[in-house]
Amino acid sequence: MKKQLTIGVSGINAVDNPGPGIGVARSLREAEDLDVRIIGLSYDAMEPGIYMDWVVDDAFLLPYPSAGHDAYRERLSYVREKTGMDFIIPTLDTEMPFYMKYHRELAAQGIGTFVPTPEQYRLRGKDRLGELAKALDLQLPRTEVVSSLADLERAVDDIGTPVMVKGAFYKAYKAYTGKEAVSHYNRLVAEWGYPIIVQEMVKGDELNVVAVGDGEGSSLGRVAVKKMWITELGKIWTGVTIQHPAMLRATDRFMEQYRWRGPMELECMVDGDTVYLVEINPRFPAWTYLSTGVGVNLPARMVRLALGLPDPQGASHHYDAGKLFVRYTYELVTDMDRFQQMITTGERGDTP
Amino acid sequence: MQRLRSLALNPDGFAFDPTTGESFTLNATGLAVVEALREGLTAEQLTARLVERFEVSPLDASRDLDDFLDHLRSFRLL
Repeated sequence: MKKQLTIGVSGINAVDNPGPGIGVARSLREAEDLDVRIIGLSYDAMEPGIYMDWVVDDAFLLPYPSAGHDAYRERLSYVREKTGMDFIIPTLDTEMPFYMKYHRELAAQGIGTFVPTPEQYRLRGKDRLGELAKALDLQLPRTEVVSSLADLERAVDDIGTPVMVKGAFYKAYKAYTGKEAVSHYNRLVAEWGYPIIVQEMVKGDELNVVAVGDGEGSSLGRVAVKKMWITELGKIWTGVTIQHPAMLRATDRFMEQYRWRGPMELECMVDGDTVYLVEINPRFPAWTYLSTGVGVNLPARMVRLALGLPDPQGASHHYDAGKLFVRYTYELVTDMDRFQQMITTGERGDTP
Repeated sequence: MQRLRSLALNPDGFAFDPTTGESFTLNATGLAVVEALREGLTAEQLTARLVERFEVSPLDASRDLDDFLDHLRSFRLL
């Protein structure tokens, strides 16, 4: 009989700027050899995943990691005690520093994780893109990392408008004038702090790759997508799988050179034969379910590797190009009790 | 030519490039030209095929072919 695995997944905010959690949770549920119970780790009682009980079994509210690591650890200990949570897949950038720092302590409590080392995480940071692009044999749009308004103005002058103004963790805005760049800069600093990245705007198609590194220099699989339709926030709504040799090669090179451990997303802009590196995210992307849909179930492969379980699919990297990914909206109606329960007790579910 | 060869073509003229994810719609003439190029026909053979299949003059066929090849080049398919 299969042992049931209780897996915590964050990022269950399936909204217009969706977190990756629901796609990750669905992938785990669809792995036939795994018997999983999904614990949704959320930050707001209105995250839709809390109410999607066909995907998420139990849900708990967590304090923000930025509010203090002690409170966060205590809350995870409580969830572990309550549910027997064996493993956590953090899917949000802001959670990564916590999990990288405390993965040993969590393991001692019986909570497994599979995350990069702090050094790996730093090497792919937005302020190190120049080195990264060189190592991966990709081009980099002209980029400057700034930490003051004077630096920003100089960078915009050097690069020339239009430019992209990007936060250290999240969000990127187009600026067509210096004034606009200053406004975006102030907004990003207030929300995410320093540094801010100013980047030349390059034209081309947005092509991305999702992969999981085994920490030994190889990947457990990788799938590339072309974004065909995006929302105003730049999030993929329709996409198609592709086999882009330069991007897949860059992913393999990243795994070899950085011995990456855990999920990652390579983001590029491709103009003809020129492939520009945009960034590498240290987590699953929100479109992760596409990889599962084409037979490369990366969340399940990662859990098996981390927990030492056999992989029934072998290590096949094969997938077909030309498979369409279509996101859609859906509504559910449920009792107010669930919302009240989340607000008053911070949890929802069947675990006694 | 490598990209042209790797296109996934369906009989209705829908072409998908598995490397870049781009897709194209071809009319019957365009589809005939792409298929012929993939077979390795020369420009003369291709013009002759168009004349035969679409009942046009050699001059029209040749001119349309040049125009279409320019399109393919602009999409970096040739």
